Amino acid sequence: MNHSPQILLVEDNPNDAELSIRALRKNNFSQALTHVKDGQEALDFLFGVGAYADRDAKVLPKVVLLDLKLPKVNGIEVLRQIRANPATKLLPVVVLTSSREDCDLVDAYNLGVNSYIVKPVDYEKFTDAVTQLGIYWTLLNEIPMEK
Amino acid sequence: MSEETDQKPEPDALQRAEEHARLLTLELAAVNQELDSLCYAVSHDLRAPLRAVDGFAHIVAEEHSAQLDEEGRRMFDLIQREILRMNHLMDGLLIFSRLGRQKMEMAQIDMHALAQSVFDEWAARSPERNLHLDLHPLPPAIGDLPMMRQVWRYLIDNAIKFTQGRNPAEIEIGTRIGEGGELIYFIKDNGVGFDMRFAGKLFGIFQRFHDEGEFHGVAAIGLGLALVQRIIHRHGGRVWAESEVNAGATFFFTLPQPLP
Repeated sequence: MNHSPQILLVEDNPNDAELSIRALRKNNFSQALTHVKDGQEALDFLFGVGAYADRDAKVLPKVVLLDLKLPKVNGIEVLRQIRANPATKLLPVVVLTSSREDCDLVDAYNLGVNSYIVKPVDYEKFTDAVTQLGIYWTLLNEIPMEK
Repeated sequence: MSEETDQKPEPDALQRAEEHARLLTLELAAVNQELDSLCYAVSHDLRAPLRAVDGFAHIVAEEHSAQLDEEGRRMFDLIQREILRMNHLMDGLLIFSRLGRQKMEMAQIDMHALAQSVFDEWAARSPERNLHLDLHPLPPAIGDLPMMRQVWRYLIDNAIKFTQGRNPAEIEIGTRIGEGGELIYFIKDNGVGFDMRFAGKLFGIFQRFHDEGEFHGVAAIGLGLALVQRIIHRHGGRVWAESEVNAGATFFFTLPQPLP
């Protein structure tokens, strides 16, 4: 299982990851979640290379929740590569970050990010934000069926 | 000594002083930049552990509440409250650091209309208060409009807060001419005032002179006056205050004079 997730969570901070996964589990989204810990792992997963060479890369998640400050390959670069690759260029990507800085926002939107969320410090607001993202991107949102 | 050798050191000294000033300016700019990036890093990088503390404290309270007695729950509430406060402090640091990096767009500002509109805005938020504004005609100034609006916001907010319990609260805004003929804006209130011994600390970041009580936002963390000072300094002006405990406070600021 876990090879065709609904949500790909790209998050290096184990605490943020655990809190996100808990929030999603509460609302029964966690079954369909894959968590990767850096930008390179995210790209390997999406493109089906490296440690994920046996994964069917044609099966994409419904949404990528992407942190910006990541080890190895940073979030903006991950987004750039997702958009540059014909197989993933339409993949919904939501930035989920601590940074509210204009330069990060502008970079992300220039690269066609679908949404940009600043992680709230307040646990209830954080849980709420992650739950809403789960509902919106996996249940409500429609994406083009590209072969 | 001849005339020549008498005069020679002078241009040298002048040059050296100019070079020294130039280096100091560069150094100051570098230090300011470092300070801003430090503020940025601190307020961003400290949020992640704070989010974890808040999150896991919540989980303990939600999922293990059976093991908590009333004292345990009280402690939990304290943890929550302090997390919130720390979050406000970090917001404040970010606002402060942004203010240093923000570009300024200088234009002529109708200070009279600006002060009036900011007062109206704040007064509308406290309809239960009896607030009386005595606004003298204010000449226009040259400055960055959003920043000058912030200056009036923090100063008027301050005056309204520290006149709590005064009926009516008297707030006077006007100008006077200083010694060198410079124009000085002032805002005077009949509030609780402060002890002049602490006047030097008044504009420091996170300095508070009263109990937190019900103050919110930047006032609650003692940032408003630090922001005022930073804006006025960026405009090349000065800001100071005079007061006596229980006899009200007056805040003064200057801005470089608009060109005729």
